[in-house]
Amino acid sequence: MSANAMPLDANLHRREIGSVILALENISLAFGGVQALSDISFDVREHEILAIIGPNGAGKSSLLNVINGVYHPQQGTITFKGEKRHQMNPHKVASQGVARTFQNIALFKGMSVLDNLMTGRNLMMKTGILQQALYWGATQREELVHRARVEEIITFLEIESIRKTPVGRLPYGLQKRVELGRALAAEPTMLLLDEPMAGMNVEEKQDMCRFVLDVNEEFGTTIVLIEHDMGVVMDISDRVVVLDYGKKIGDGAPDDVRNNQAVIDAYLGVKH
Amino acid sequence: MRVFPLSGRVLEMKKYAFKLPEAKHVAKRADLISTISEGNAVTVSAAPGNAMTFPRLLEKHAAARGDRPAMREKDLGIWQTTSWSQVRAEVEAIAGGLAALGFKRGDCLAVIGDNRPRLYWSMMAAQCLGGIPVPLYQDAVAQEMVYVLQDADVRFAIVEDQEQIDKLLSLMPECASLSHLVYDDPRGLRKYAQPQLMGYERLTAMGRAFNATHPGFFGDQIALGKPDDIAVMLYTSGTTGKPKGVSHTHAALIQTANVLVAFDGISENDDLLCYLPMAWVGDFLYSYGQSYVTGLCLNCPESTDTVMECLREIGPTYYFAPPRVYENILTQVMIRIQDANPLKRRMFHYFMDVARRVGIRVLDGKQDIALMDRVLYGIGELLVYGPMKNVLGLSRIRVAYSGGEAIGPDLFNFYRSMGINLKQLYGMTETCVTVCMQKSGDVKLGTVGPPMPGVEVRVAGNGEVLVRSKGMMKEYHRQPEASKSVVNAEGFFLTGDAGFFDTDGHLVIIDRAKDVGRLADGSLFAPKYIENKLKFFPYIKEAVAFGDGRDQVTAMINIDVAALGDWAERRNLGYSGYADLAAKPEVYALIAECIGRVNVDLAADPKLATSQITRFVILHKELDADDGELTRTRKVRRNIIAEKYAVIVEALFSTVEHCEIEAAMKFEDGRSGVVRADLKIGVAKIQASDQATSVARKAA
Amino acid sequence: MKWLGAISAELKVGPFIEVVLGGLMAGVLYSLVALGFVLIYKASGVFNFAQGAMVLLAALAFARFSEVMPMPVAFLLAALLMVGAAFAIERLVLRHLVNQDGIILFLATFGITYFIEGLGPQLFGDNIYRIDLGMPKEPRIILESMFEGGILINLEDFIAAGIAAALVTFLAIFFQKTATGRALRAVADDHQAAQSVGIPLNRIWVIVWSVSGFVALVAGMIWGSKLGVQFSLVLIALKAIPVVILGGFTSVPGAIVGGLIIGVGEKIAEVYLGPIIGGGIENWFAYVLALAFLLFRPEGLFGERHIDRV
Repeated sequence: MSANAMPLDANLHRREIGSVILALENISLAFGGVQALSDISFDVREHEILAIIGPNGAGKSSLLNVINGVYHPQQGTITFKGEKRHQMNPHKVASQGVARTFQNIALFKGMSVLDNLMTGRNLMMKTGILQQALYWGATQREELVHRARVEEIITFLEIESIRKTPVGRLPYGLQKRVELGRALAAEPTMLLLDEPMAGMNVEEKQDMCRFVLDVNEEFGTTIVLIEHDMGVVMDISDRVVVLDYGKKIGDGAPDDVRNNQAVIDAYLGVKH
Repeated sequence: MRVFPLSGRVLEMKKYAFKLPEAKHVAKRADLISTISEGNAVTVSAAPGNAMTFPRLLEKHAAARGDRPAMREKDLGIWQTTSWSQVRAEVEAIAGGLAALGFKRGDCLAVIGDNRPRLYWSMMAAQCLGGIPVPLYQDAVAQEMVYVLQDADVRFAIVEDQEQIDKLLSLMPECASLSHLVYDDPRGLRKYAQPQLMGYERLTAMGRAFNATHPGFFGDQIALGKPDDIAVMLYTSGTTGKPKGVSHTHAALIQTANVLVAFDGISENDDLLCYLPMAWVGDFLYSYGQSYVTGLCLNCPESTDTVMECLREIGPTYYFAPPRVYENILTQVMIRIQDANPLKRRMFHYFMDVARRVGIRVLDGKQDIALMDRVLYGIGELLVYGPMKNVLGLSRIRVAYSGGEAIGPDLFNFYRSMGINLKQLYGMTETCVTVCMQKSGDVKLGTVGPPMPGVEVRVAGNGEVLVRSKGMMKEYHRQPEASKSVVNAEGFFLTGDAGFFDTDGHLVIIDRAKDVGRLADGSLFAPKYIENKLKFFPYIKEAVAFGDGRDQVTAMINIDVAALGDWAERRNLGYSGYADLAAKPEVYALIAECIGRVNVDLAADPKLATSQITRFVILHKELDADDGELTRTRKVRRNIIAEKYAVIVEALFSTVEHCEIEAAMKFEDGRSGVVRADLKIGVAKIQASDQATSVARKAA
Repeated sequence: MKWLGAISAELKVGPFIEVVLGGLMAGVLYSLVALGFVLIYKASGVFNFAQGAMVLLAALAFARFSEVMPMPVAFLLAALLMVGAAFAIERLVLRHLVNQDGIILFLATFGITYFIEGLGPQLFGDNIYRIDLGMPKEPRIILESMFEGGILINLEDFIAAGIAAALVTFLAIFFQKTATGRALRAVADDHQAAQSVGIPLNRIWVIVWSVSGFVALVAGMIWGSKLGVQFSLVLIALKAIPVVILGGFTSVPGAIVGGLIIGVGEKIAEVYLGPIIGGGIENWFAYVLALAFLLFRPEGLFGERHIDRV
């Protein structure tokens, strides 16, 4: 599988993994009577790549939405960069430096790649609407600074040739890459990727793996990702958290998790 | 060893009346090009050949036009310009760094990567130090590089990025001498701890320090260089055996470049986009060489994917590409036209018809064009050709070359009829490319033009093309035997290509010399030449011509189901599959017509008139690499086919009208079986050669 | 065949140009009102029936303010009023109807329309008010050397068209080049995606209604200066509906071109067909044209063709 396809020795390039940046403690989330997540605790450390895996319906996306501030868990605490969270919403989480991509691409299909990436920097734009209307001084300077940064990301993701193409006209794999770009444009300290390689062919997956690793190395971004392709997960992640029926059933280095009996059972469908 | 397999053809353009689109173009580019200094053009006469080396040309340009742009590169979406004096400073720093690392005169410097300014400068730095740059194909896998690195005894390499570094690192055990690897782009390499590695910035910093403590070193090194030093080593892929390092001297390269400059009036005001592999002689001579000889500006695209966009922004005046690039551009045009609204589509087709009718004659400056046609062509230029050329970035083109392989006539004519001066050229690495080239205003389709000034071309008794010029390679590196074997007693280089001069003195390349046979009457039989002519028809996918030792020529045809299926659909011709379609009388008639047209072509040349195809068969199955009938690169294996289908071949050379055949074939699911078929033999129209000649002349 | 003769008799170049110019001037104003529709429709998917009422409100406010204060101040105040209205509409209406069907939102704008139609005159009075922008009113004759009798133009119309063009250019640049413009386009493209990158929807709605209000103010001023500010402005705004059908609901250039086509079309119809059919064509021509478009090209000239994917 892609284990062979990735010639890079991931760990050789990685930044040093630091202290805990995000801590989840005893998180439980229910929708009506359905328990989506029960009593989940784990840490994410600075600069690491953490994969969340599990069968369909295990609660992976819900967990990402909890981290992201979309869902509010009924129980448990979330500590990000040493601060306990209260009353979170996605907007606030984004301004704390967490960016994400979506399982179903959520890009602006009618806008160019460049404009899509620029919207990723929306939170960093400081000038007011009236100033912008006049497009004077500060606004123009600000626009240039942001544009330069976005151009760096375009070069980084090797999407120079589609800079001006409307996103809707791009093939799926490239749209995923543009979405990663938009998340990167926000210069996040933590990046949440919801199935970044879903629906891609082998070559596109390899490219995406390389970008994820490079993001981690070049920018030191902490990455939490959900992925189904076990080859990819084992290849690029430092640690793996396994969910099943909303419960955490495994947590550790890829090799440990691979040999964990509970995990094997979950994937083979042994009844609990 | 050949760079241009079958025939290189080049297109060329003249000054054209596309003032209007050009003005629009420039306006569009103005915001992208940050600093084009438009100072008064300094005229530097082309290098006085003999005493010159590339480093001395650098010194000359830095002095004479220090502020003029030498190179542009698109970085972060903006074209950044480097002037000649900046280039000189950069080269000096690289050279200093290399010297500090122990680079000696005669050392080889491997250069691997896309067309990046720093890589071009590194080649120059090596030359300044009396070393030899050895550019390698950037997409070669690591193992393919081993031979070159060992053969050239490479100690130093400057490469683009992590990808190349990874390859070289994996080769360290085999290439013991490789001791210094410099990279341009540090991405992904920050954690590499190998002692051999060094970033470009560190190298140049080291170089500046070195130069500060060794004042005069750089200038002295340049002064030491002699014109007959080796300037570059270009490895040819070599279809057989190991690659060979073709060594060229400064004198030979500069001489050849000067010939080109004079031929098409290339000057420092030309603009060129360099995107072809740096390891290809075409890029070395036409980009690097021309830039240093004339002082023109090289433009490096942002990435390999943005070439089209960069083309549009730069609007080069001078362009060199293999036919497949021209084909890609045409495909893009056709796709866009298909998506366009019906009005635009009709307009396009109408004016393309006009262009087909008169465009080429307008381009060649012919006088005998009806006023109405001139007016229509003018309107077409305004409405169709002009805007199209503008979109494609071709509106400023003065001269465009096609080389590397033969270009299809439709493709060739498409560009020419739009007013793009496209020309074919012929040459190979060993001859610095430039052997023959079509002249502006005198372009004959199917030929590669007359020999260039200063190049002697002869056709040997066996049909092989022989070349002698001052631009010849010095030798194959470390292969004295091979070096001797490709040059005859009179100093002519044996190209290995078979060809002949047509009645106007234009060279026609027909095949590899070893593949050319003789008919029973002793006249020339060039199967590949005939097959290629057949394959230029979209309906014919493969063709195999037979005739060596026979009294006539016959052919076996594979139809192109995609193209013919479309054709059949338009005629409401039902068919169940390849074999069924291939056997239709309508298809036979169509193919017979195609062959008839090839025969008219062949008859036009007295040397080939006897090679007209008399009888043919449309094979009931597609030739397939799985059945051993084609190579993996889809080249016909003539002998195997002749053996396997001996029955058909015999039938072709007899007078029968049918032929039964049993052929073993492998099915897609892996089973093998025997297919029986009863094939009809088609008869094609033959031109009586004398008449044919004059008729064809008139038609042309 | 008699009517053909009548037409050709009328078809003198000079007068014809006059008619076309006159149509273009009227068209410019239709375009402005249609622009307001399109902006709101793109950004929020709401078909804003109240656009005409907003024109009336803005024009009324400006007319009355300018009676007691210098014109620039009156203009600023009226603009502020429109921003205030936008805030109020977002806060009181739209926010509560998020994720409702389009028809509900459309009906809500009906409510807004009647509310404004009632409130405006209540606040500012219900007479006919004049707006004097100080534009030269006297007609001029130009190009006398080229056409017999020259061409009669109204300088005021030209200035009005110039103002409208400037406004459209300004908006186009604003939308393409600024961060807010980009955010507006992003919201118009995909609400949910916009939210996920931290674009606050509510703020965008306020902005887009304010911009629409601003456009309404400019349109109202120009109309008012020509015809006086009165209740019939609301009806004129209804002309914008065929314009957006013609141009496409989601297309800004469509609104502009559509306005011009309808303006010119109805003037030509009135002048050249009117005598034959018997006048009054100007009143219904636009709607017939829109109907034809609905039959043959429902997405309009520039609108996005809607393909439902299975």
